[in-house]
Amino acid sequence: MRSYQWAINMEHLARLAIESALNTGVSFADIRIVNTTTTVIEITNGVSKGSIASRSKGAGIRAFIDGAWAFAQTTDLSPDAMREIGISVARLALATRSKTSERFEIEGPSFSGKSEFRPKTHFHDISFEDKVKYVKAIDDQARDYDPRIVNTHTLYGERWVELFIANSLGTSVYVENSLPRIISTPTSKDGTNRQSGFKSVSMRGGFEVFQREDSLNIGISAAEHAIRLLDSKAVEGGVFDVILDPALNGVMTHEAFGHACEADNWLAHSTVLEDKVGKIVGPEYLSITDDPTLPHLRGSFEYDWEGTKASKHSLVQEGRLEELLHSLETSSRLGMHPNGSARAQSYMDIPIPRMSNTFMEPGDWSSVELIEDTASGLLLCGVNYGYTNPSKGQFVFQADHGYLITNGELGQLVRDVSVANQILDILSKIDAVAKDIELEAGTCGKFGQTVPDTTGGPHVRIRSVPVGGV
Amino acid sequence: MYEYDLSLLEVCRLNIVLDIAEKAVSKALESGAHQAEVFVSSTKSFSIDVENNSIKTAEDIRDAGVGIRSVVGKKIGFAFVTTIQESDYLEAITKSVKIAKASIPDPDFVSLPSYEGRYPDVQGLFDPEIPRLQPEDAAELIIRTVDASLQEVGQYEVSVEARLAASAGTFAIANSLGISRTISLASVMISSSSLIRNDDARTSSFEYQSTRNLRDLDPEWVGSTASKKAVRNLGGKTIEGGTLPVILAPLAARIILGGGFAGAVDAEEVQYGRSYISDCLGHQIASESLSIIDDALLKGGLGSGPYDGEGFPTQRTLVLDRGVLKSLLHNSYTAFKDDVPNTGSASRPSYAGIPSISSSNFIIQPGSGSLDDLISEVDKGVLCINTGDSPNMTTGDLSATITEGFYIERGELVHPLKNTLFGINMRELLMKVSRVGNDVRKDSSIITPSLVLDEVKVTSG
Repeated sequence: MRSYQWAINMEHLARLAIESALNTGVSFADIRIVNTTTTVIEITNGVSKGSIASRSKGAGIRAFIDGAWAFAQTTDLSPDAMREIGISVARLALATRSKTSERFEIEGPSFSGKSEFRPKTHFHDISFEDKVKYVKAIDDQARDYDPRIVNTHTLYGERWVELFIANSLGTSVYVENSLPRIISTPTSKDGTNRQSGFKSVSMRGGFEVFQREDSLNIGISAAEHAIRLLDSKAVEGGVFDVILDPALNGVMTHEAFGHACEADNWLAHSTVLEDKVGKIVGPEYLSITDDPTLPHLRGSFEYDWEGTKASKHSLVQEGRLEELLHSLETSSRLGMHPNGSARAQSYMDIPIPRMSNTFMEPGDWSSVELIEDTASGLLLCGVNYGYTNPSKGQFVFQADHGYLITNGELGQLVRDVSVANQILDILSKIDAVAKDIELEAGTCGKFGQTVPDTTGGPHVRIRSVPVGGV
Repeated sequence: MYEYDLSLLEVCRLNIVLDIAEKAVSKALESGAHQAEVFVSSTKSFSIDVENNSIKTAEDIRDAGVGIRSVVGKKIGFAFVTTIQESDYLEAITKSVKIAKASIPDPDFVSLPSYEGRYPDVQGLFDPEIPRLQPEDAAELIIRTVDASLQEVGQYEVSVEARLAASAGTFAIANSLGISRTISLASVMISSSSLIRNDDARTSSFEYQSTRNLRDLDPEWVGSTASKKAVRNLGGKTIEGGTLPVILAPLAARIILGGGFAGAVDAEEVQYGRSYISDCLGHQIASESLSIIDDALLKGGLGSGPYDGEGFPTQRTLVLDRGVLKSLLHNSYTAFKDDVPNTGSASRPSYAGIPSISSSNFIIQPGSGSLDDLISEVDKGVLCINTGDSPNMTTGDLSATITEGFYIERGELVHPLKNTLFGINMRELLMKVSRVGNDVRKDSSIITPSLVLDEVKVTSG
């Protein structure tokens, strides 16, 4: 009930800010009022290294007129402060208008809704001491796994978000989010050979996520991986046929295609897909979906950060580029329907088109057959990182590890393998899609803002791509 | 006429942030902390964004907050709030003491730092013209950037994305051992990307400039350079690959040595055995052409300051002397643990976290020759202008994509590169620096000229 009361108070404050802005002379205004609490527990070698509690509370407000936006933010949530910031942000928009040369309007439907999130076990129902106990157990697991584990590092994070969104089109939305995360990164050493393992679990939920089998044993699985990597070799660079595991396929899908489908790229002419909407961009057995409405995933939400109701997006349907990821501005300017893809990191940031849970749809190969069918190449697994530049059409991703494939059989373990390619070329190089699918939690950065997300897909095979070795 | 005032005096006076810090320290001790440290910042930033050649957005961000580190025995707790209201930071103090008590003691923790001597005098950190910059002036600077970009693209269609961001802030730190310091900092940055189209071909490039002195900004240089580079990038091709010399231009050298080496000399990573240069202190780990100084005292440096994230005085630290690893970068925790001098390398970009370790101005000592000279000396090789990759910090393995670069033949740039990567371990990379140029770029806290690496495995396809 507390949060419901909070939402009613916020509605009142939001209206004050929006009305002050409109009265100052702008045509559109919106506001996000956010109350976020986080706890971070970091344990290294069995010792607390960082125990952090935080509260972040504030409002971000935008004003718009004739193609000029202004954004301001405040942590003072009093009625007077709301009126003041409404006026000052509107004045900044009016001042900016005289310098703009593109004119447009912001239009769209309005939404009303309250979406309370009820995890099975709320973070505040577990004591800090019990949380430390859990993290310590994970850290100990990793250290006790093998004497060659020389350093353990365990990171626990929980974030509870209450978000109220309103705009001058009439939108009034309250949403809650709850994100737990556990990461284990042990270091192994044998002689001068050092390796680092990495495992993480995150979903949308409460403390119960830490009681899942994979979360309870994450120290062991990360240590196991760090030990296994001691036998890995750096791969010799070259052009290979590669099979990507679900986690890595997810990152390729996200980097090579997802970002290029974010509609702000059309306004900035910054994507090689600009002229491809409705056109064939890959083979007909290839479909890519972005879906924030799936339950319990790290990138899930009911309404986006502009208050637009979330919906499933078919970015690529049977090889054809179908749908883009929109904010209110991109849908207004491109004459398309808003589809709830505007996200912001916090109240201090402007919402921009982002992905949520993005994945390649499964095909009909079995992953075992896929390997057996590959005469020579690499199976690449796990994610280090990825990045893309849609305006150049290039993307890069790096696998945590992989295996050489010779005559359809897996051989030598390799590590830290980068793959680089072109957005417009890569989909047509995919010649086989497996029927297995897995999703993995991640975090995506764009224009200095990070948002939680999920990526995934089935095993896929890509023919002849350059692989960077060491 | 809209008056916009970025003046710091409006945000927070130095003595106000310091008062909050000192008061919060005593409150933390009253709440049961044995030692306490409080960091307070109040910053204001203004930015203006251009999309498709037109100004679109102006942002006015004010960010103030308090971070409290409480020590109970050898147990540490930290809490922060995004306001400087007393009721909010009092709540955070209570939390930080509470979670310190519930944490696991760290036997290696000795104490927060103390210091009673003189602090270095570092000039050029606060240009009052930066907080006085009006939106109209900012708009003019960014329009000049865009105009310069548009003039350089010739017959191609172009869309310019550009941004000017100015920020100024006051920062205070106090601890229960007597440290009590405050400072004002300001900086301004212009970045610009030129996205060009020619029939079906598209490419882009970007340029930027970041400085603590408003008069140093050169919007025409930023805009025209981004466009010149973008035009030059049209028509990327793959190459045969093989073992070739690789020239890292300053932007690429900055990413690889900044992320990939400055992070490896973090004493905490070394103490935990998580760095690829663990056990290397005093050893020849790089070629003799490479010397690196971490200099927090550099006048106007983006990484400069008289004290570090724990209020301890900063210094000039010789990290690499003709290839020999002379010193790691320490904060109070790692210095106490190894019983060595604290290099004043605690870093704390904001109130929102526990201080870690980082380089200040990581300066690669220049050699001789411009980038053109270095290119002219290569018979067959590649020029890496930019990359987004960083090494595995534990193994040192680096597998890097050349996101902007050229193929070199007989001392000349032949064509831009596409789908081209190089792979090398950082230990080997450091040893293979055969030549250091003198084309130093200063607008970052990693200050480096171009570097030439002999014999690197290059893959393309």
